[in-house]
Amino acid sequence: MKEFTQKIMEDKVGLIGLIGVLFVVILALLAPVIAPYAPDKMHTMNVMESPSSQFLFGTDEFGRDIFSRVVYGAQVSLQVGLIAVGIGAFFGLIFGLLAGFYQGKTDQVIMRVMDVFFAFPDILLALTIIAVLGPSLTNTMIAIGIVFTPVFTRLVRSAVLTIKENEYILNAKAVGVSNFKIIIKHIAPNVMAPFIVQITLALSGAILTEAGLSFLGLGVQPPNPSWGVMLNESRAYMEIAPWMMAFPVTAIIITIFCFNLLGDSLRDLLDPKLKQ
Amino acid sequence: MYAYIIRRLLMVIPVLFGVSIVIFFTLRVIPGDVAQTILGTSATEGSLAALRSKFQLDLPVYEQYFLWISGVVVGDFGVSMRTGAEILPEILSRFAITFELTLLAAFISWIIAIPLGIIAGVKRNTKTDFSVRIISLLGVSVPNFALATILILVLSLAFNYSPPVGYVGFFEDPLRNLQILFLPAFVLGTGMAGAVMRMTRSSILEILRQDFIRTIRAKGVKERVVIFNHAFKNAMIPILTIIGMQIGVLLGGTVIIEQIFSLPGLGQMVLTGINQRDFTVVQGAILFIAFVFVMINLLVDLLYSYLDPRITYK
Amino acid sequence: MRNLKIFVILLAIAFMAFLAACSGDSGETDETNAETSEETNGEEESSETSSEEATGEQVLRIANDQEPAGLDPHITPAHSSVRVYSKIYSTLVRFDENMEITADLAEDWDWADDQTLVFQLREGVTFHNGDEVTAEDVVFSFERILDEETGSHIASYFSSVDSIEATDTYEVTFNLSSPDATLLTNFTNSSAAIINQSVLEENGDLQQVAVGTGPFKLEEWVPDNRVTLLKNEDYYMEGQPALDSVEYYTMVDEASRLSAIRTGEVDMTTLTAQSSELLQNEESINVMDYQTLEYSYVGFDMNHEILSDQNVRQALSLATNREGIADIVWNGQATVTGPIAPSMGEWSIDVTEHELYSNDLDKARQLLEEAGYPDGFEIEITTASTYDDMIDTAQILQQQWAEIGVEATIKQVEWAEYIDIWSNTSADVLVGRNGSGSDPDRAMNYFFNSEGSANVWGFADEAYDEIVLDGKTTIDQEERQEIYVEAQNHLLDLSPNLFLVSPMNYVAVRDTVENYQPYPHNAEYILDVTKK
Repeated sequence: MKEFTQKIMEDKVGLIGLIGVLFVVILALLAPVIAPYAPDKMHTMNVMESPSSQFLFGTDEFGRDIFSRVVYGAQVSLQVGLIAVGIGAFFGLIFGLLAGFYQGKTDQVIMRVMDVFFAFPDILLALTIIAVLGPSLTNTMIAIGIVFTPVFTRLVRSAVLTIKENEYILNAKAVGVSNFKIIIKHIAPNVMAPFIVQITLALSGAILTEAGLSFLGLGVQPPNPSWGVMLNESRAYMEIAPWMMAFPVTAIIITIFCFNLLGDSLRDLLDPKLKQ
Repeated sequence: MYAYIIRRLLMVIPVLFGVSIVIFFTLRVIPGDVAQTILGTSATEGSLAALRSKFQLDLPVYEQYFLWISGVVVGDFGVSMRTGAEILPEILSRFAITFELTLLAAFISWIIAIPLGIIAGVKRNTKTDFSVRIISLLGVSVPNFALATILILVLSLAFNYSPPVGYVGFFEDPLRNLQILFLPAFVLGTGMAGAVMRMTRSSILEILRQDFIRTIRAKGVKERVVIFNHAFKNAMIPILTIIGMQIGVLLGGTVIIEQIFSLPGLGQMVLTGINQRDFTVVQGAILFIAFVFVMINLLVDLLYSYLDPRITYK
Repeated sequence: MRNLKIFVILLAIAFMAFLAACSGDSGETDETNAETSEETNGEEESSETSSEEATGEQVLRIANDQEPAGLDPHITPAHSSVRVYSKIYSTLVRFDENMEITADLAEDWDWADDQTLVFQLREGVTFHNGDEVTAEDVVFSFERILDEETGSHIASYFSSVDSIEATDTYEVTFNLSSPDATLLTNFTNSSAAIINQSVLEENGDLQQVAVGTGPFKLEEWVPDNRVTLLKNEDYYMEGQPALDSVEYYTMVDEASRLSAIRTGEVDMTTLTAQSSELLQNEESINVMDYQTLEYSYVGFDMNHEILSDQNVRQALSLATNREGIADIVWNGQATVTGPIAPSMGEWSIDVTEHELYSNDLDKARQLLEEAGYPDGFEIEITTASTYDDMIDTAQILQQQWAEIGVEATIKQVEWAEYIDIWSNTSADVLVGRNGSGSDPDRAMNYFFNSEGSANVWGFADEAYDEIVLDGKTTIDQEERQEIYVEAQNHLLDLSPNLFLVSPMNYVAVRDTVENYQPYPHNAEYILDVTKK
């Protein structure tokens, strides 16, 4: 772990990514402290004002403070990202471990089901799921989580398959260590590297997907200030009040950018093939 | 090889059956009475019953599924619940649009991404590498509907330009067709370019590190020959994979762009279908997209094994 | 190494050239547009923006904000459909520019007694397929509308009709079961169209095909893209229409419509108040507005534990600042309204002085306390994601009601589910928009009579039912008006719905379009329109 920390400190690009991600996380955690107003407080006397010292990022069509909304938006968007990816990663890990370790029938059943879900186009699957569950914050996270599950399952399974053939696993098996123990002690830790990289990248995917769903009116519900909702609301006013779009867009771009930077350099660091 | 292809083709069938089952039954649990929403606010008991029996909505769900899927197997996708139009011809004509958009977007992304990826890989850890990586990451980070809206606004204000309205097919009027599709394809392409660039870069990196390249270099072969004749050729395999995947992803991911640019593609068909509860249309279109997606993946796999002699067909 | 650079540079150049080619095109479009707007006497160059159309053709290009849901006039109420099929079909009578009833397919009509209405049809009118229109077609059309199996949304408009007879080749008699003051007005509804029996029988339904007697014929419908209509050369109104064809382009996205009207890709589009404000300074675009017959409302589930209390509903009415809604949602371009929209002229009452419209928060709190909710309560507001104005209205209500302690959450559903929730009243509070129709009977009877076909709220008040029934059967105009004043005040007191504001609508039109004027009852009257 020490070695890893040291490496990431050396990789400047990754470091920038890490700092950016931490920044967004802190923003989200400290939102109530940082934001000057409640995100849904309407200052009806100050509708669509341009940025000023009173309203740092200006106000929207209801006179809500955009700075406060962007800050609280970090909370919502990160929450969507983390929980959605968490759902996908959790089930992906379980299914992948099961399929890869036991192979045979278990593998067949799990992977065929995953193939089916994999064959659905992402956003259309998410759309259909939300049409069933109804649009809300929770359901958006569930839908994106389901969409992500097959990717994680495939990743974990193939990693398990590679590791399984290693001698020490075969040895462990030979001396009668229980399957459960082998999975927990030997296989799971080794699967972690590609898994973590995938999680970082999936996080940015989830935030973007949420924005897309919000565009179609099927994501997080207003007045909840996810960045996607803010973007969607601002489209109609882009010319009159460009700041309404500029700030949430910048927030999304920076966040996704940093997650990707981090993911990229994690991949370089953790990928054994690239180790010199 | 042929046996392998046939085996893989056969494996597609259960997947598609799975898709058909999932989509059919998922749509049936969507809240809202189909007949009611189709007939709108002034439906009467009589008209509701008439519509339900016309589309067999009064039968048990599994029987409805059986009726539908036995039609699909022989190429009969049924008719739209809302408009009464045949679904398959509609799917095909819309697929042509979405597919062209996808290919164009992919093409644009390659033009941007592959050369940049090669440069970044060859010049690893230089300023060039960093700037290329950053630009490509920026491309991935912008939500494409925001980019589309900004482009539409800026182009109309600054250049008095907007894409022509009224879709025409490529074979009717190629120039106009490309004019209509360029902007949406460009928006999609920039989003895709980042991923392709990343893959190009890391494949080049990986290959440049391999022993045979070292050997070739040691022999004193010129660098450009090393890169184009050996490194790039080998790097093509993973690049091809990601391109195939991208096309598949794009096929289902054009919904938003199609809506913004008023393109009558498959994504729009599904979205309108879901909004109008036109289930026959949604299930038909999604099954079709899944079919194309699975076939593209299969093609990529086959190409992969064809290009990489190390892979055997088990 | 050098070759790699050259290769990359070449690729880059190729890409730039591609870009340039495309922006080059935009340059050309640019010029054509500039020319058209300057050369007032020039030929029809505007149609050149669409590159391949022959010049000299009078083509009107209209952006449609939704895809038509189908073209059967009897069962399709969607506005995106109505605007298209109203050009293809004719009705017996129609409104003129002053909202007076005037002849259309029927050249004359006469009340034989107050329960018998006789129409004389124009002779020699043909459908687009050449069949002549006779009394039989009229009988067939209205029998279809009244048939339960059809599920026509306007069936209830003709509920007083007992039987329809073709009393001569060109004479139709409607026998009523009771006097009906609203009937003639209802015949002007675009959905009361005369259809051709043989076309219906050939095609099974009329959603994809349309053969009418109107000024335009259906040429082509490319789903999710465009509908093309061609001039009906045999139209019975002399000299109409002036246009050769009308093209409707489905453009769901507001930004795209705005950009297309700016660059001249379309000639006409509807826009929001905010967008149309941006076009005020564009020389080549005229922005026209008209007061709609629509209004936004808040509907209550009258069987809800809390909302069934009249005091609670009145408190919410008092807590609602309707001007605030008009300002934010409609950019100030909307009028506070009661159950009958102000554009209905003398039928509507002035609500601004009404007690429940005073936004008196103390009074509202007091009413809540009387109802037993001194600390307010929690409630869910449902609205449709399809319409921005509804979402915005819901968000403002959420804020305004919070002032008296009512904590609302918003549930946004898409259109199909919304309709379902509406018809089953499965929401506590619903935010929506109604069309108040062209006769007060629709606004009052259709929506709020305990038997009314759009009374989904579970609202039932005997006294009210009697008043509106009286209104429907009273023929004398002044007497009717008094009845509806009483009805409106009665309804406001009971507040089964809160009536909010009636918005202005905006149409942006290129200056190449002449003789166009929108009316509240027909926003797209284009029979006299010509293009420069």
